[in-house]
Amino acid sequence: MSENQKTYTRFSLAERIEHIVLIASFTTLAVTGLVQKFAQSSISISIIAALGGIEITRIIHRAAAIVFLVQAIYHLVAIGYKLYVQRKEASMLPGFKDLQDAFQHFLYNLGLRKERPKMDRYNFVEKAEYWAMVWGLVLMALTGFMMWNPIATARILPGQAIPAAKVAHGAEAILAVLAIFIWHFYHVHLRTFNKSMFTGKLSRHEMEEEHALELEKIEKGLLPPPPSPEELKRRKRIYYPVAAVLSLILLFFVYRFVTYEQTAITTIPPVSAQSENVFVPQTPTPLPTRPPTPTSIPTPAGQSFEGPLSWNNGIGQILVQRCGSCHGAMGGLALNSYETAMKGGRSGAVIVAGDSEASRLVTTVRDGNHPGKFEPQELELIIRWIQEGAQE
Amino acid sequence: MANRYRYSSRLLVVAIAVVFVAIGLAGVVSQNKPQIVLAEAPLVEKGQLPNNAACLSCHMVEGQVKEFPNGDLISVVIAPETYGLSAHATLSCQVCHTNISGYPHPENLAQSSRDYTLQYQNTCNQCHPSQATELLDSVHSKIMAEGNLNAPICADCHNPHEQPKIKKDEQGRLTAVEHAQSAMVCGQCHSTIYEDYAKSVHGTGVLVDKNPDVPSCIDCHGVHSVRGPIGGAAFRLSSPKICADCHTNEEIMSKYGLSTQVLQTYIADFHGTTVTLFEKLDPDQQINMPVCYDCHGVHDIRRADDPEKGLQVKQNLLATCQKCHPDATENFPDAWLSHYIPDRNRYPLVYWVNEFYKYFIPTVLGGMGLFVVSDIYRRWVVDRRKKNSIPAETVVESQKETQDSDSLQDQQEIKSVEEENQITDEKRQDEENS
Repeated sequence: MSENQKTYTRFSLAERIEHIVLIASFTTLAVTGLVQKFAQSSISISIIAALGGIEITRIIHRAAAIVFLVQAIYHLVAIGYKLYVQRKEASMLPGFKDLQDAFQHFLYNLGLRKERPKMDRYNFVEKAEYWAMVWGLVLMALTGFMMWNPIATARILPGQAIPAAKVAHGAEAILAVLAIFIWHFYHVHLRTFNKSMFTGKLSRHEMEEEHALELEKIEKGLLPPPPSPEELKRRKRIYYPVAAVLSLILLFFVYRFVTYEQTAITTIPPVSAQSENVFVPQTPTPLPTRPPTPTSIPTPAGQSFEGPLSWNNGIGQILVQRCGSCHGAMGGLALNSYETAMKGGRSGAVIVAGDSEASRLVTTVRDGNHPGKFEPQELELIIRWIQEGAQE
Repeated sequence: MANRYRYSSRLLVVAIAVVFVAIGLAGVVSQNKPQIVLAEAPLVEKGQLPNNAACLSCHMVEGQVKEFPNGDLISVVIAPETYGLSAHATLSCQVCHTNISGYPHPENLAQSSRDYTLQYQNTCNQCHPSQATELLDSVHSKIMAEGNLNAPICADCHNPHEQPKIKKDEQGRLTAVEHAQSAMVCGQCHSTIYEDYAKSVHGTGVLVDKNPDVPSCIDCHGVHSVRGPIGGAAFRLSSPKICADCHTNEEIMSKYGLSTQVLQTYIADFHGTTVTLFEKLDPDQQINMPVCYDCHGVHDIRRADDPEKGLQVKQNLLATCQKCHPDATENFPDAWLSHYIPDRNRYPLVYWVNEFYKYFIPTVLGGMGLFVVSDIYRRWVVDRRKKNSIPAETVVESQKETQDSDSLQDQQEIKSVEEENQITDEKRQDEENS
């Protein structure tokens, strides 16, 4: 029983923190990235709205990408430390045995083998996931750079590399997220809840099932002994400066990644010069600049009259033609017959026989306030007719 | 008896009246043209021409002008033959000129010809209430409310003395001539835009070819509720929909061999995605992503293969990109797929990457899924069956582990299998020995 309760340290605190940072950055990238890939779906729109709009969503995505990259640099330095300073086995490297293990495990699952394959510190499940992650990171970083800096990209590559990068970036995202769901969640959450990434420890049973070979090595004392303190000290003296320089160089790359180019201007110019002044009326048809004289309608005024002027001899014709359209059948003053003309309108007579100056027919028109006018000749004839007694 | 008789005769009168009113109403309803409420026009009796002779006797005389205190002159001549052909021929002058009933005319306080026109701002809605309401939603009414007196009122576009009845076809669309005419109306005030438009692919289609498929001003901006980019970004952000109205219509586009994928491919791209999202979430935000007209031109839209401005010409496309991406070089325009969906010949790199993932993703996930399913089968079917017949070692051990790592969990279950454990332990010993 005591043997069963024994635990085996699997992940150091630093590694566990690294994993938590990875969860945070990966999840952020997945959420903010997938809503951009499927931007027209209503779920995406509500997530984008909740995040504060597409611009902020993009900024969050890029910030998470930077965290992801910086973490990758840290991871490289940490691996270097393990391999060079601690001289640990490169246990994550994939090999032919992993293929074999996977196949044998599959056969075991189908009941075609009695035993699970015995697997080392990192079994094929973990290696598949780790290297998928590495592949994903490299591909996402490259394609991400191309989309982040399209102008620089198009200087070297054909332009269509950028939409191709977008396709790859999006497809890889789907692959990564679904792989996490299918592979990772099944193996460490569903099949058994493997807490080692948080507690740092595995139970003996878990070791037996997943890392039987490592367990065997531990128990048989086959693992290489830790280096002596002097040796460690010596290697650290070499490794630290090299790691510092390398990580600075890589961090500089990340910095360039972020600040490489100003892709577009931030405010667009107005679409056309006209948008500033849209009201440009066409030159209107020029109007006459002085009140014109009405074109004359030929009247009897031009004719010569034989005999004395009378309504029937000339005057009636003038008045009917000049005034009749208004002062006719419309009521009020009617100048279309001798009787009504002499009778006048609502405000009395307009013709006073023998006194043209008292006749409003003459004064109103002559004062210029009446819309209808007589030709001067006509007015003369009318005045003469009134002076002569306004005969019928 | 006599009373009753009188009563019933009164009823008869009422009944007849009701019947007549009903017939009358039915007539009104059946003839009802919702847009024009002629019934409200006073002084007009059906079928009878108004007696405008009194007014025309003066106003038909050519050359008459009215002068305003600011020196403006307007012609006050009405040509009877033009007026007679207008939609308003059956109206007496006083329907609109309500304040003028005789001569001399009452003094008018308008200081300018514009003042004078604006006095008639609310005249038309007596008979044309729906158009007047639409006008209230327009940019024209908006800038008028802001104090811009140049903003047009009804009479500025429809000369009330000359405007004939607008001719429409059976489907209620403007006839080709009217359609072209409408652009010229807008051109009266927007002459520079009109000149650009007249040279564009749309303008020549409307003005020269008289093609009703092609948009005139009103098709994009609306007729009375005229919309435009004034005040806020809403018009700009929603403008792709305006273009898409026709450019995603297979029936129209197929006649000219034009693609209907233009909207879909635009939205799929960075620019279109952004614009669409802003349009939905923040429609008044000015953003620097282009809408259709930022690349294709606003009113001066040319054919895609136009040597001067067409975007199929690589140099023109690069120049267009450079408006917003000043550092863009020769390859850059290809980053935009020009509204095409990639295939083997066009943008093959994009096509093949897409194809690769089409098989790569199912392969990887399928492989993972296959293994996971086999594992589930092993653990939940085979091992459980074993456990039920003879408690299998793995199951029991995993129970123990659960107890080890979390002693509180599953205690009851563990108790129940505790007895079995001892038996199993013995059995395992046996198995190992053998």
